[in-house]
Amino acid sequence: MRRLPVYLLIDTSGSMTGEPIEAVKVGLQTMVSALRSDPYALETAFLSVITFSDRAAQTVPLTELVQFQIPDLRACGMTALGGALALLADCIERDVRKTTAEAKGDWKPVCFLLTDGQATDDLNRGIEALRRVKVGTLVACAAGPAAKPDELRKITEAVVTLDTADSNTLKAFFQWVSASVSVSSQKLDLTKKEVGGLDELPPPPPEVNVAL
Amino acid sequence: MTSIITLTASDGSQVRFVDERKASGGLKDVFFSPDKDYVVAFYRDKMDGVGRERLNLITGTYRERIFNQEGGDYLKRLLVWPTATVEHDGRIGVVVPFFDQDFFFKYGSRNDDQLLNIRKREKEGKWFASAKNRSKFLDPRELGDGMTQLKTCLMIARAVRRLHSAGLAHSDLSYKNVLLDPSSGRACLIDLDGLVVPGKFPPDVAGTPDFFAPEVVATAKLDRHDPKRFLPSRLTDQHALAVLIYMNLLFRHPLKGDKIHDMNDTQRDEDLAMGERALFIEHPADASNRVKLANVPAAELPWKDTAKLPYTITGPYLSDVILRAFIDGLHQPAARPTADEWETALVKTVDLLQPCQNPDCAQKWFVFDNSTKPRCPYCGTPFRGKLPILNFYSSHKEGNFRPDNHRLMVYSGQSLFPWHVNRRVFPNERLTAAQTRRVGYFVLHNGEWYFVNETLPGLRDVRNKRNIPPGDKTKLEDGAQLLFSEENGGRLCVVQMVDG
Repeated sequence: MRRLPVYLLIDTSGSMTGEPIEAVKVGLQTMVSALRSDPYALETAFLSVITFSDRAAQTVPLTELVQFQIPDLRACGMTALGGALALLADCIERDVRKTTAEAKGDWKPVCFLLTDGQATDDLNRGIEALRRVKVGTLVACAAGPAAKPDELRKITEAVVTLDTADSNTLKAFFQWVSASVSVSSQKLDLTKKEVGGLDELPPPPPEVNVAL
Repeated sequence: MTSIITLTASDGSQVRFVDERKASGGLKDVFFSPDKDYVVAFYRDKMDGVGRERLNLITGTYRERIFNQEGGDYLKRLLVWPTATVEHDGRIGVVVPFFDQDFFFKYGSRNDDQLLNIRKREKEGKWFASAKNRSKFLDPRELGDGMTQLKTCLMIARAVRRLHSAGLAHSDLSYKNVLLDPSSGRACLIDLDGLVVPGKFPPDVAGTPDFFAPEVVATAKLDRHDPKRFLPSRLTDQHALAVLIYMNLLFRHPLKGDKIHDMNDTQRDEDLAMGERALFIEHPADASNRVKLANVPAAELPWKDTAKLPYTITGPYLSDVILRAFIDGLHQPAARPTADEWETALVKTVDLLQPCQNPDCAQKWFVFDNSTKPRCPYCGTPFRGKLPILNFYSSHKEGNFRPDNHRLMVYSGQSLFPWHVNRRVFPNERLTAAQTRRVGYFVLHNGEWYFVNETLPGLRDVRNKRNIPPGDKTKLEDGAQLLFSEENGGRLCVVQMVDG
């Protein structure tokens, strides 16, 4: 059975302190319970969380949906976005099963990146690392006024913006992520291509703006 | 406070709904009537003239043609058909009956539903077709047993057969559009507003992964108007139906084996495996797409073990149809078994069921394997005792009886019905109320098997030249011949006795 790896890259820098980080935790909780009531996602989706502040860390390894526990997130420090992307590349390289003569490999991973600021480290190093691995979808979300959609567009074409990083907006964002994972887990074998850009995901909720 | 909107529907009826979106699907937003007896589903996109004409025909002529005939009431349980169209704020909507309570989870997931919190949600077919969802997540009370699972499949086949015989194709038979209740043996088709009428209304969806016919996958990259492109039709419905039935009997996909077609490109590998190079995982002569047990997670066993639970455990009638669907007809659409053939095979297979003698067996029923030493394939428990099997013959001209290739397994409490008594009666939606009542039953008494005649006027023990009037009983012995009816099509049975 092919698995659908889902990576969530979450900014835990100092600016996320307070409402934003609490909203992320609630959002993750909502997302996981929504996915747990989806028979497609239950069968195929595996989740991992990578957080980044002064440095990036894989806070939750790639875990089956039903065993996934919400990590205790704390916000402080800088925004090692480049490091997060490099770590994502390492994790994909290590976790995602490749096809062998004996067994089918996993689907290309679906990745969501949430940040409210801009990289304070070497972003290009991360972008370079990411080029070396196969990624299905990578959606980057610029949350709040200090985020830099232009910077994110260097990483991926699929960039969405949230005007604020408050609890309602982030809740809507996570609902959208879970809908996207649901759609991805159902449509994986759609014949044209694997889930690519924003075109194939469900329409973002009104609170999310697609940055064009 | 949300308001209630009142509209006049296309058929002149008054339609009311609460102005609060309750769900949204791929194309529509759904609102509930105040009493939750129907829903109103509005299309998000503007509809052209052709689309409206199609909806008018589906809610009008086609609906009347199916439901205003004998069996119409029965079919309402199988086909959740849109009854009328409405227009509101420039959007077109359809009025559809609310799904029956049977199609919402009563127990949900394990641990008193703490695990997933899905109680009262719709029983989308995917839940039940997945071995992992069954073994790890669903409350066992939701799963049904070997008998109700077979009946669930019969309902799907019957519903599709009725659509096809009306000249319609569903075009997207899949988990989402077929609600199942394996616990009671029910199924119904939903989302019927997208029906395809060959030559008149083309399909507006390509279908759903897992259910695409191989020729649809193989030509998916061609332009929609390219004559070589295969679009959904009755023939692709027949493939989807075969997949649905196979998956709901054996809880694995018939084409998803371990053959690798492309080492580097997952998508291309999948396209080939489901399209151009699709190969039945249990192909008797080509083992290259077998499921490799080493790759199967424990949660998907024993169902993914095709050596332990091969398709042949579904019995001779279904095995034959399965082979035609996934070998002969896999790449030759015209050779695919029809919904009618699936229905017939399923009906006959119900008569081959035998209760497992292990009280803890989860499947509870298994299909008799025609052996002198029958055993339950799921738990391995052998049958112990005397087991009568009735082989049916029917008269084609007076005094001449030919085998019907139809058997009835006997167990305590098993009933005999009018469709066993006469070849010309077939159990489907057209049965009269009288024809659904049993005419007699079987009972084990002091170690002997008896048939108790309740209403058959002409039952006769042929060998002993004895009439058995209603109220009387007759002992079942090896070689006994019972004539059920002397009418045209009337059946005779020859009893075989297995001593296990």
